[in-house]
Amino acid sequence: MSQIHKIHQQLVSKEISCTKLVQERLDLLKSNTHNTVNSLLDSLALDLAAKVDAKIAKGEEIGLLEGIPFGIKDVYMVQGTLTTASSDLIKNYKSSYTATAIQKLLDAGAIPLVKENCDSFGHGSSSENTIFGAVKNAMNTDLVAGGSSGGSAVNVAKDYTVFSIGGDTGGSVRQPAGYNKIYGLKPTYGRISRYGLMAYASSTDCVGPIAKSIEDIRIVLNVMSGKDVKDQTTYPSEEISKENILKSEEIKTVGYFKNFIESDAIDVQVKADFLVSIEKIKAKGIEVKELDFFESDTLVSTYYTLAMAETASNLSRLDGTNYGARIEGDNLKDTYSITRSENFSEETKRRIVGGNQVLSQGFSDEIYLKGLNLRDQISENFEKDFKEVAIILSPVTPSSPPKIGDSLKDPLAMYLSDAYTVGFSLGQLPTLTVPQGTATGLQITAAKNNDELVLKFANFLKDTL
Amino acid sequence: MSKIMTVDILSSIKGAKESEAVSKLFDAIKNANTSNSNATNTNHTNAVSLDDLREDVVIDSPQAEKQIIIENFPKEKDGYLVVSKVIEE
Repeated sequence: MSQIHKIHQQLVSKEISCTKLVQERLDLLKSNTHNTVNSLLDSLALDLAAKVDAKIAKGEEIGLLEGIPFGIKDVYMVQGTLTTASSDLIKNYKSSYTATAIQKLLDAGAIPLVKENCDSFGHGSSSENTIFGAVKNAMNTDLVAGGSSGGSAVNVAKDYTVFSIGGDTGGSVRQPAGYNKIYGLKPTYGRISRYGLMAYASSTDCVGPIAKSIEDIRIVLNVMSGKDVKDQTTYPSEEISKENILKSEEIKTVGYFKNFIESDAIDVQVKADFLVSIEKIKAKGIEVKELDFFESDTLVSTYYTLAMAETASNLSRLDGTNYGARIEGDNLKDTYSITRSENFSEETKRRIVGGNQVLSQGFSDEIYLKGLNLRDQISENFEKDFKEVAIILSPVTPSSPPKIGDSLKDPLAMYLSDAYTVGFSLGQLPTLTVPQGTATGLQITAAKNNDELVLKFANFLKDTL
Repeated sequence: MSKIMTVDILSSIKGAKESEAVSKLFDAIKNANTSNSNATNTNHTNAVSLDDLREDVVIDSPQAEKQIIIENFPKEKDGYLVVSKVIEE
């Protein structure tokens, strides 16, 4: 059920006041022990709530998102608020402007409550790479929340926020959504402006809504979508209507990647549950095709090679000159390197160094350019697949969430756990995690710009599985 | 003669070394098969068309924005950003 519609009705009928609603959620966030909060936006939120209450008291109509409390991953600029990327380097950095996607939500009247904990600069799959303490899973606090948008996923799962805005570069919305049994969408690359989202890997970075229902994902997606002159990779898109995504008759064929399911790395239960889901879909008269795809290690290596190269470049600006925790050295160069060595986490340094390695002479042809070539082949493969099937279905992860502490010990294992999410990032395809089918959910993927079809199939699965 | 740039200098990170986990990823790329066919470069179409460029005009930032930028200065003197001593070598 849509939380947004429900709360909207409660506000309109004066069953609850917006101030009370916001205060309750702020209290829950403040007292929570899952480490989801980097900073609370309490005075801003309460000021906005009072305005919504005044409007309702005057008998004025309010919009659907007006007064709805939401959370923001701490990598989005919101003017005047701390934006730390969960890092020491910019732990005191204050945003001077507001991200386009967030501004659109503010313009629609939604109320921001919190800047949410995440892996530093998006570098991680467990939300342990953070100066604010590892985020704990909503269902079992011994387990990781997933990442990098772990705080956002847990806040939604625990009803601390009605929806949250995460960021997905290689699975950072979809995987924590799966680990916490909620919905998380990575839209088609370019559907939502990245302006004001701190850049990790610019060619796959996506703004992604996390919520408890398909309808709430649809509402938030519609508000944030659209062309933005400040992000020239954006494109104009049509609004997705509520009615359109309730009918799924046009979906006649679904595919899945045989090698994902036959891999040695997949947990036996995840595999068995996935195959049961496939049988249920077949029983509804949908044709299911097995598809060939690249090996997991090729996908993961291609993604990480390109993402590291891009992050090495994007994070080179963080040298303590204009902002950030500068540590003075003997000269400018020394200041840069001390500032960066002391303030970046081990994982962030690993990715920056890896990125500079592949971009340097002697490595770039053999690794970086080959990675770009592989990415093109992956995209071609998707184009071919979507001539045969309307939807590709996959597990979100090969296994259940690891225990807190395990991922940091073994970075390679953490990279490999992204095997099922990174391919769709490289292809820039719309992909939604739904909390059904396996212990960590299922991913629904459609061809580029076909976000509507993804939501349609999600509704079908909700009724089928 | 040009100097060899090591990863710690390239990354501006003191003592930075190549990582074993990352090297394994790179090995997988080296060993992967790539097709000989010229790929369609579908991912290279993100660039905006020349007819669709935004106007090339200077937009003055609002005062509030400028104020926050100054607040973020790591070191400030009389409203100006203090930078580190320049390289002398």
